[in-house]
Amino acid sequence: MADRIFAGVLFLLTLAYGVIAFTSIKAPFQYDPLGPESWPRLLSIVALACIVYILWRPDVDSLHVTRPTWIRLALMVGLLMVYAELYEPLGFVLSTILFAAITARMLGAGILHSIIFGIATGVGGYLLCAVLLELNLPVGEWIEHLIYDTAQTTQEAN
Amino acid sequence: MDTIMTGLGTGFAVALQPFNLMLVLAGCFLGTLIGALPGLGPINGVAILLPIAYGLGFPPELALILLAGIYYGAEYGGRISSILLNVPGDAGAVMTTLDGNPMARNGEAGRALSLSAVASFIGGTIAVILMTLFGPLLAKFAVTFSPANYVALMVFAFASLASLVGKSTVKTLLGALIGLMLATIGVDANTGVARYSFGIPDLLAGIDFLIVVVGLFGMAELLSLVEEQVSGRLKTLPVDNSFVRMADLAKTKWTILRCSIMGFIIGVLPGTGASVASAVAYGTEKRLAGPDGKLFGTGDVRGLAAPEAANNAAAGGAMVPMLTLGIPGSGTTAILLGALLMFNIQPGPLLFTQQPEIAWGLVASMYVGNVALLLINLPLVGLFARMLTIPQHYLTPLIAVLAFVGIYTIVGNPFDLFLITGLGVFGWFLRKLEFSLAPVILGFVLGGLFEGNLRRALSISGGDWAILTDDWKSLLLYGLAIAVVVLPIWMGRRSKKEPAGDA
Repeated sequence: MADRIFAGVLFLLTLAYGVIAFTSIKAPFQYDPLGPESWPRLLSIVALACIVYILWRPDVDSLHVTRPTWIRLALMVGLLMVYAELYEPLGFVLSTILFAAITARMLGAGILHSIIFGIATGVGGYLLCAVLLELNLPVGEWIEHLIYDTAQTTQEAN
Repeated sequence: MDTIMTGLGTGFAVALQPFNLMLVLAGCFLGTLIGALPGLGPINGVAILLPIAYGLGFPPELALILLAGIYYGAEYGGRISSILLNVPGDAGAVMTTLDGNPMARNGEAGRALSLSAVASFIGGTIAVILMTLFGPLLAKFAVTFSPANYVALMVFAFASLASLVGKSTVKTLLGALIGLMLATIGVDANTGVARYSFGIPDLLAGIDFLIVVVGLFGMAELLSLVEEQVSGRLKTLPVDNSFVRMADLAKTKWTILRCSIMGFIIGVLPGTGASVASAVAYGTEKRLAGPDGKLFGTGDVRGLAAPEAANNAAAGGAMVPMLTLGIPGSGTTAILLGALLMFNIQPGPLLFTQQPEIAWGLVASMYVGNVALLLINLPLVGLFARMLTIPQHYLTPLIAVLAFVGIYTIVGNPFDLFLITGLGVFGWFLRKLEFSLAPVILGFVLGGLFEGNLRRALSISGGDWAILTDDWKSLLLYGLAIAVVVLPIWMGRRSKKEPAGDA
């Protein structure tokens, strides 16, 4: 069943992929016998054949995932999305502290341990990656504003 | 022979510079560390560390040396969790648990770890030596390959992948097709036509290779960890003071030698990597041991040495087609190939002549890396074993943070962070449905090359498809491709028939 659902979704996606390849991809002018549309056309046909075979003979019945596990997975994906959303606005340090602490707590660490772990990951990670290895990490919009504002006030004071 | 010697000279001149030496050591250390993490296999470790290594802004040969160190180290580290926890980090390490874990349970963890380190070292070194000898030869031959030959070669690679990797041939093939289709997103290099970008500017340049790798491997792995979440700590067996004895080495020397060569050959074949090599080596040794074969599985030193030598030799062997033909032999080398492409280095027959400092520097750093790993591993194994006790609830968020840092640091685009999360969910579903992920990444990496060669071949012939089967090299490769798909099916049928005939 699980196989069929997944293959069904893939079938629709590949069909859309194929339809686009057969109808809308066109080069305005070309000298080569194979244009940009030929390869996707070829791929979509072979892929559809494979998918039809899986629909015909599926071999995975169920994912064997219990309801609490589904919830935990959904929460995890949700947390990752929120983390991605807040990555730039809040900056690496703050968003990582929040993400690491909440995730650790969700997966079963104690409250105090989670908070310590979160702070250690956020601050330690920033020191290691941004300061020591000079990688590009977001400082955070609010900190940038803060720095900008203080710079302005000091300028005005001068 | 002369070119090999001068090549090696160039290589060692690169690899032995103090800073580069330090990079090899750092890579090996980090790789072992991440390979030893429970449940996190080498391929996922390399995937997570790759963007960070890229983001450091090193010149290509340095970044590659670091990456090769990580790759090697991760393969080494994998055996620690196999032996102490009975949890293999990846498919290649499954065979190591069979005799390694019983030895540890008998109170000989130290002996098992040090013996496997020595076996890995010998396997890895033999593979690099064979690679030094045969790599340039293969490259010289491959220079004569036409675009049509390359198309045939890739058909062969995907055929052997489909028949040897994963449970279902069709699913493996479909996985490779998904990778190939993902690779078509973005502007077509030949005509400048945008394909499947739907007007989203972030997609015009195509999906970045690193995003696919980190998403499909790193993030999917993370979701699997959340799914299988083991509460609390895993119980590890203690590392004691026992050590490998001369008698063990004497008993296993032929095993190690045989398995190294076997592993190398299997590693060179496209699509087959460490997992096939270690399984074949273990099975062969068990048969060769005769009546002693019964001891395999109860903590026999040969049963431990065989898969370890073979899987490290296969890891080296897989580098040969990657460097000389530009066709990776395994999922992990597909990732390394992608890394090379990111630095605008096109691996292939010309790499050894046009950029010897990179090709030979990499080879030399593998010699150095092997020695470094042995030196790091023998005394520090206790430290690496500690990594096993990191509770899952801390490990999981750490992986996510590392993946985000790596991806953000490349272009600083938060859109990519959503993309890796989405691909992670997709990869998790693929895994749950028993698709293997290596074909997807192989398809993605080879997509551009496959399409490009096909189009070039047909441009040469003016649109006549007969060019694809025009010379003996292509025909030989298609023949091999058919053989590699048909033979296992035929042999499976025959072995099924036999027991039926007996009954």
